[in-house]
Amino acid sequence: MSKIMIVDDALFMRKMLGKALTEAGHEISAEASNAKEAVEKYKKFKPDLVTMDIVMPLMEEMDGIGAVKEIIRIDPQAKILVCSVMGQQSLVVEAIRSGAKDFIIKPINTERLIEAVNKALFPGDKKIN
Amino acid sequence: MVQDSYRELFFSESQEYLTIINKCLLRIETNSGDFEAINEIFRCIHTLKGMSATMGYDKLTQLSHHAEDLLDELRGKRKKVTPEIIDVLFGSVDILERLIDAAKAKKESAVDIVGYVDKIKKIIAQKGEVLVAAPAPKTKGLEFSEAEAAWIKELKAAGLNIIKIRITLVKDCAMKEARAFLLLTNLKMMGEFIKSIPPVEDLKDGNFDLSFVFILAVKENIQAFHNKLSGVAEVEEVFIEPVEIGENVPGAAQPQTTPSYIKKIQSMRITVDRLDKIMNLMGELAIAKIRLVQIVQSLKIKELEEVSFTLEHLTSTLQDEIIQTRLLPAAYILDTFPRMARDLAKKQGKDIDLEILGSEIELDRVVLDDIGDPLVHLIRNAIDHGIEDPEERKKTGKATQGKILIKVSRQKGQIFIEVIDDGRGVNFDEVKRIAIKKGMIIEKETSVLDEKRILDLIAKPGFSTAGKVTDISGRGVGLDVVKTKIEMLGGRLDFETKRGSGSRFILTIPLTLAIIKAMLVRVKNEIFAVPLMNIRETIKIDEDEIKALQSFEVTRVRDEIIPIIRLEKSMGLENPVLDKGLHNERKSVVIIEHGKKALGLVVSQVLGEQDVVVKPLSSIIKKTKGIAGATVLGDGRVALILDTISLV
Repeated sequence: MSKIMIVDDALFMRKMLGKALTEAGHEISAEASNAKEAVEKYKKFKPDLVTMDIVMPLMEEMDGIGAVKEIIRIDPQAKILVCSVMGQQSLVVEAIRSGAKDFIIKPINTERLIEAVNKALFPGDKKIN
Repeated sequence: MVQDSYRELFFSESQEYLTIINKCLLRIETNSGDFEAINEIFRCIHTLKGMSATMGYDKLTQLSHHAEDLLDELRGKRKKVTPEIIDVLFGSVDILERLIDAAKAKKESAVDIVGYVDKIKKIIAQKGEVLVAAPAPKTKGLEFSEAEAAWIKELKAAGLNIIKIRITLVKDCAMKEARAFLLLTNLKMMGEFIKSIPPVEDLKDGNFDLSFVFILAVKENIQAFHNKLSGVAEVEEVFIEPVEIGENVPGAAQPQTTPSYIKKIQSMRITVDRLDKIMNLMGELAIAKIRLVQIVQSLKIKELEEVSFTLEHLTSTLQDEIIQTRLLPAAYILDTFPRMARDLAKKQGKDIDLEILGSEIELDRVVLDDIGDPLVHLIRNAIDHGIEDPEERKKTGKATQGKILIKVSRQKGQIFIEVIDDGRGVNFDEVKRIAIKKGMIIEKETSVLDEKRILDLIAKPGFSTAGKVTDISGRGVGLDVVKTKIEMLGGRLDFETKRGSGSRFILTIPLTLAIIKAMLVRVKNEIFAVPLMNIRETIKIDEDEIKALQSFEVTRVRDEIIPIIRLEKSMGLENPVLDKGLHNERKSVVIIEHGKKALGLVVSQVLGEQDVVVKPLSSIIKKTKGIAGATVLGDGRVALILDTISLV
């Protein structure tokens, strides 16, 4: 069981992601609705993995990408999955450049979400033939 | 004709290589299994070949080429090191040495290489004892350019494994281009990325089906690597196999192709982010240093003073070096201009020659990023408004071909970029007429218009003297944008023009934006930094030399009336109770100028010059008029940096 923090400005998304992840046996240790809060809660809760919506309202000049950068700066080992919608390739690429481990595309396919989360948490665990 | 400076470099370097080769030959003579030495000889010979070919020394190139072939056999374990081979190699090196000496003396060498070339060929042709019999797996459909092949050789020589990774994504993979980028990013962290099929650009644009291939040089064996790769979702299959560079790689075995010139790594890429970080740390270091120096001065311990002196010297050298790393030659942007000018001129039926001087001068990359557009604009202006039609030029006795000169020069911490044209110059009367018509000035004012005011006018939004709007310029985006941009960089735009013989725009910009020279001044208990670039002089005046004029105050400096600002007032530092009686003190005035406008800043004390590291302000106070940023002083105090341009 791993501790996961969900960052999304929409309560709906947080609940949905939370449900999918708990059902897959993970624990939601924190939720944040903006970038600033995400960074603060990351410091406080040190989750094993963060799912980060990259399009969120600016909070004190910080957006989702900014939060990815800041968390990676605090903890270079941080595992961040960014959530995006189709058509935001450049944002996703920017997030990967900033240190995000993987990305998932909304609408969220639960199977894909769990695959991405598990692979980010335990790389090399399941062999790819 | 190859320049002499390169010749010198060639001789000194080739001598080094020969020395290394001789040393390594001795090593393999005693230990024929010393592959490190074999690789080293191979590398040296290979480099020597490339250098010789570049210099046009045919014999050197040929002999080293054959020697390289032989070494490649040894390296690939297709041949064993024998005394015969060692002899041939030693002999070849001697001949190479004599050839180099002859070249040095600029003589055609009489040394015959044919004998040795034949010997080498014969040895290669012999069926030697093969050490490793396993045939290299064929890598179908893989083609490497000469440069890539050479690079791969180098990497292999460095002991890396070259692998081919074929990745297939799941069928309904969302945003496959980002997925490919993620895989590429991961792979780049695991090894040296050589190439991808399709090329990276196509991957980024999503121009591929579901699978793609990466060629990578890695330290790990394939299995270990395989495990590492599995942390990415939506991947259907990963297939990894080693890549063997066979004889049929172009450049590896074809005598007629020009060999590439591979040197040891002498330059490398660093991300701008990292450079910025280093710069920031350098700033912190500089601050700590100043603090230390101040403490040391108060302690008066001789040894400590010596150390601190050395430290001071080292940090300032380091700072200069770091600033250098942020610099790029102006050619980076200027090189595209001649083509642009040619195309634009052609469209207008004009004949224009664009000359660039000083494109080798280096600028901070941030500055460089930002001056491209303004320069393009100035050149467009020159072509559109400045340079006349060929017929008109003929009538006025000018050459039909118009000239535009871009001149870059550097003085101390400043860069000057001039855009000079030999066109018709700015028609002052026309400017006045339009300005009056547009209500920018009133008729009375026109008699006192100088170049400075004219520039102000033509740099106003919406001003255009062009008779008609063309698709080149005169579309309303004008000099005002140029001026604003340059000023945002802490620079300024000046302008000179002469009716009938052309105009000259002068951009003055700081070499770097991260560290500036500033004058520190004290206002009450606060310290402010005034960028030195904008300071004309500092003077002392008595209170009664300040005269009230309408709503503002002025003072007379020699023959000039200069408006003044009392910083304590404008910065809100007044205290009517405590300040009583202080008004009679002699006052320090820092006179700043911007263009031809000047302004005196009344301060309590001028403290002195210092390099300050510019720290941006947070968003809340970013837009405060008159403040450009903040800096931390040696004693840890924060000083605000004045934005002189917005004050004037």
